[in-house]
Amino acid sequence: MAETNFTGSKHYIAAPELMQAVNVAIELEKPLLIKGEPGTGKTMLAEAIREATGKELFIWNIKSTTKAQDGLYVYDTIQRLYDSQFGEEGVDDIAHYIKLGKLGEAFKSEEQVILLIDEIDKADLEFPNDLLWELDRMEFYIHETKETVKAKHRPIVIITSNAEKELPDAFLRRCIFHYIDFPDREQMTEIVNAHFEHLEEHLLQQAMDTFYWIRGLKDIRKKPSTSELIDWIRALQLGGIEPDLIRKEMPFLGVLIKKDEDLGVIKQRRLD
Amino acid sequence: MFLTFFYLLRSKGIDVSVTEWLTLIEALDKGLCHGSFTEFYYLCRMTLVNRESDFDKFDLAFGEYFKGIQDENEIPPEIMKWLDKGDMDDSQLNRDVYRFEQHRDSNTVKRMFRERITEQNSEHNGGNYWIGTSGGSAFGHTGRNPGGIRVGGTPGMHTAFSVMGERKYESFRNDRALSMRQFQVAFRRLRQYSARLDVAKTELDIDRTIDSTCNQGGYLKLEFEKPRKNTVKLLLLFDCGGTMYPFMELCNNLFQAVHKANHFKDVQTYYFHNCIYQKVYKTPECETGDWVDLDYLFRHFDKDYKVIIVGDAQMAPEELFDVNGNYRGPNGGMSGYEWCQLLNSKYKKIVWLNPRYHGGLNALSWMESEHELAKLFHMYLLSVDGLKEAITYLMAPR
Repeated sequence: MAETNFTGSKHYIAAPELMQAVNVAIELEKPLLIKGEPGTGKTMLAEAIREATGKELFIWNIKSTTKAQDGLYVYDTIQRLYDSQFGEEGVDDIAHYIKLGKLGEAFKSEEQVILLIDEIDKADLEFPNDLLWELDRMEFYIHETKETVKAKHRPIVIITSNAEKELPDAFLRRCIFHYIDFPDREQMTEIVNAHFEHLEEHLLQQAMDTFYWIRGLKDIRKKPSTSELIDWIRALQLGGIEPDLIRKEMPFLGVLIKKDEDLGVIKQRRLD
Repeated sequence: MFLTFFYLLRSKGIDVSVTEWLTLIEALDKGLCHGSFTEFYYLCRMTLVNRESDFDKFDLAFGEYFKGIQDENEIPPEIMKWLDKGDMDDSQLNRDVYRFEQHRDSNTVKRMFRERITEQNSEHNGGNYWIGTSGGSAFGHTGRNPGGIRVGGTPGMHTAFSVMGERKYESFRNDRALSMRQFQVAFRRLRQYSARLDVAKTELDIDRTIDSTCNQGGYLKLEFEKPRKNTVKLLLLFDCGGTMYPFMELCNNLFQAVHKANHFKDVQTYYFHNCIYQKVYKTPECETGDWVDLDYLFRHFDKDYKVIIVGDAQMAPEELFDVNGNYRGPNGGMSGYEWCQLLNSKYKKIVWLNPRYHGGLNALSWMESEHELAKLFHMYLLSVDGLKEAITYLMAPR
């Protein structure tokens, strides 16, 4: 196994315990399950690992209709039916109609790759269970062609989840688990600075004060997240807002807060 | 023996399996904790615990297992061997442990630390028993971020004891009250597909039709399956009395979750004030006149409706037992308790979710009503675990 030591990347600031989790998962060749609040950079982690290791990244986006089979391969029966009716060539070769999914592609790759299974909890409750064997053994069997696809190099598997559904125990047991905490002020400063070339310190501090103040309000329903903070700072910067007015006037609040009720709460609190 | 840690975790309700334990051992054998006690803590956590709701339990167990350690001789030899592998700074481990112990026991340091907190900004979540851990300040390290100090040897990493001492994962515990999404997730369990029932196969199964047709070389062959529809019908009764006010948001979340979960065959919601009497209200404001008879519910919603009552059961005993107990509306000649009994007899499955539920503790006088109602209905705490239990009961065949 290649000696890989993940230490974050230029645009991705990872907490030390997250880096440790990534390295442990790589070393133990187990899938890394990442959970955390929206906007804590779960998906970006895979991108950062790609950048840090130079390995190819395969992203499998999970939707509510995704089935485990889709990730392995799809047998395009309809195409074959059409082709047979028009007497196309190659109809007798079933392999023609086997299309590999993301997992299949990752397995087939000549070099070790990174496989991101994004938002696994979006799929059906049973979905993770259907992948147990494939992720354990890193191989699957194509019934139609009687072929076994086996990974030459075990991919680095990163799985993200928003905790919409409880994942099955059997699946969880096979993963290294990490929960991304919401970044504290210090980390957040690093993260924001990684996104901006020149950011006025005063503006940043004022924006951060307001941001953490809002997050600290008990009656906020949807707390603003990292990506919203970055958008907001960008808006403040472009709008040429006087930093000292940020805390008092909170311009462009719509960038930060997406719910009407929350805007109401903030207005009220500001008056207090 | 280190193995006792495994059993300690299990006894604390963390469902660690042998697979996970072996993963940890493998990781330790590979020296992945790099000789640092803090990394050892994270390594244990990432391999043994697989949901954030268990972090708090894990922290407590980890603290319990390792807190007694005064110097390295007492650390189980297996761990010491693993910790030895890297370039472990011996003194650091001792320092961590020492600091932890020192602050746990010493009131002086705690007091100093409290004083320090007041000087710092208010973002500090103080008042925690373990807060002493952060008082590295007493040793000249000023905590740069609230709630934890950074130790020189491992830059940027919270020390193990300070991390678990913060108990910042407490709010993720399953037995805490829950958020809207968690409610929704819980409600997804409330399904009963009619496919399990014996009905005719009436729905065209396109995937299987295509496969069968292809297998027959293009001759169309239709395949049917049983329709899968959720047959669960819900009747919700919310308490809108004054004592429920602190739980308004919680109830609102529950309400929203039920309505967003559009997989139920039918959902009906009514409201009551303190206790269920002859009338239930159509709106949460519980205005006189804007009501229907309880009898109306019985007539319109059959016994298969699953009834969820949300309330804190904090009515005064006379409100529950006196035939004139209802001071806002008609009593209908029966006490609240009798109305509840009637309700209970009309539906097969009823649960009562109580945000204040004291769980069968000996009835103190002010809990008498709760105690009596808990005998009548299946009462659960309004929390993730409580709701799951309640739903399990609702879904149980009989």
